[in-house]
Amino acid sequence: EERQYRSASGEAIALRRRQHSASCRELAVRCPRLQLRSLSAVTSAVWLAAYGLFALSENSMVLSAAIFITLIGLIIYLHFVKVDQESLLVIGSLGIQVTSSYASGKESTTFIEMGQVKDVVINEAIHMQKVIYYLCILLQDPGDPQGISEVVPLFQSSKPRLDCLIEVYKSCQEILEQRRTAPQ
Amino acid sequence: NSPAPLPERAIYGFALFLGSWFCFMLYLIWAYIPETWLFSLGLTYWPQKYWAVALPVYLLVAIGIGYILLFGINMMSTAPLNSIHTITDNYAKKQQPKKFQEEAIPALRDVPISEVNRMFFLPEK
Repeated sequence: EERQYRSASGEAIALRRRQHSASCRELAVRCPRLQLRSLSAVTSAVWLAAYGLFALSENSMVLSAAIFITLIGLIIYLHFVKVDQESLLVIGSLGIQVTSSYASGKESTTFIEMGQVKDVVINEAIHMQKVIYYLCILLQDPGDPQGISEVVPLFQSSKPRLDCLIEVYKSCQEILEQRRTAPQ
Repeated sequence: NSPAPLPERAIYGFALFLGSWFCFMLYLIWAYIPETWLFSLGLTYWPQKYWAVALPVYLLVAIGIGYILLFGINMMSTAPLNSIHTITDNYAKKQQPKKFQEEAIPALRDVPISEVNRMFFLPEK
C-alpha cells in the first residue's frame, strides 16, 4: 500500500510498503518528479544571462554555448543528481538491499549481508543548519560484538520526516527481531 | 581569582590607560603632521604614511572575513551523516557499568542508540 508523507524540506513524498513473504519486505520512497516550472525558470535564467553577455560582447558563440550548456547540464542532472525512487529490501536471513533509481533510469544498488548488520536505527544529526532525523544501518565491528564499525545513512535524497521514518523503522524491526529470536 | 578591585589592578589599569592614550596620540601625530615638519624636528625614520590608512582598512576587512570564516569552519567541523561520531565516542565505548542500588538514582551513563530507538518508537505492549 502507498501513503503520502512530507520530506524534511517540505516536498510531498510517497512511501510504498510491500510484503513479499513473512521475512521479506520492500519499502520504497518515491520523490517528487522534476517540475516544469523550475526547469523553465532555470532555462530562462541561463538564456537571459547568455543574451546579456551576447549584448555586451557581440559574440554569437555565447548563445550557442548557452544552449549547449543547458542541454548537457540537464542530462547530467537527470542522470547523476535527480533521484526518482529510493527503496529498501529487507530479507530476513539474507541481508538488506538499498536501491536508488535516478530520473534517467539509472539504478545503483548496495547489498549488505545480514551478518554485518547490527541494527537499523533512526538517528538525529545536524545537517546544513537543521537537525534532521534519518534512518541508518549500523554495521557490526568484527572484533567487538558491542561496537559499531560503520554507519550507512538511508534515504539521503528524499529525506523523509519522522512519521514516515517510524513506519519504515517498525517494518524493519519486525524482520530483524526474527533474527534475534530464532538464531540458526 | 575573584574579580574584586585590588590596588595592583588599579595600577595596571591606569598604566594601560596612559599607554593607550600615548599610542593613539602618536598615531594621530604620525598620520596628520606633514613629513617636512617632522624632518625639520629631526625625526626622519618613520614608516610610510600609506600605512596610516592601510592598517585600519586591513583590520576592518579581516574582522568582516572573520565572521564568514567562523561560519565556514563551523560547517566544516560538523560531523557528516555517515560518521560514527553521531552515534558514540571514546568515553561511551569505555564506560564501566555501575551496580544497581535500591532506592538510589541510577548512575549517569550513555544509553546505546538501539535501546533508545526501541523505547521511543516501538510501542510497549
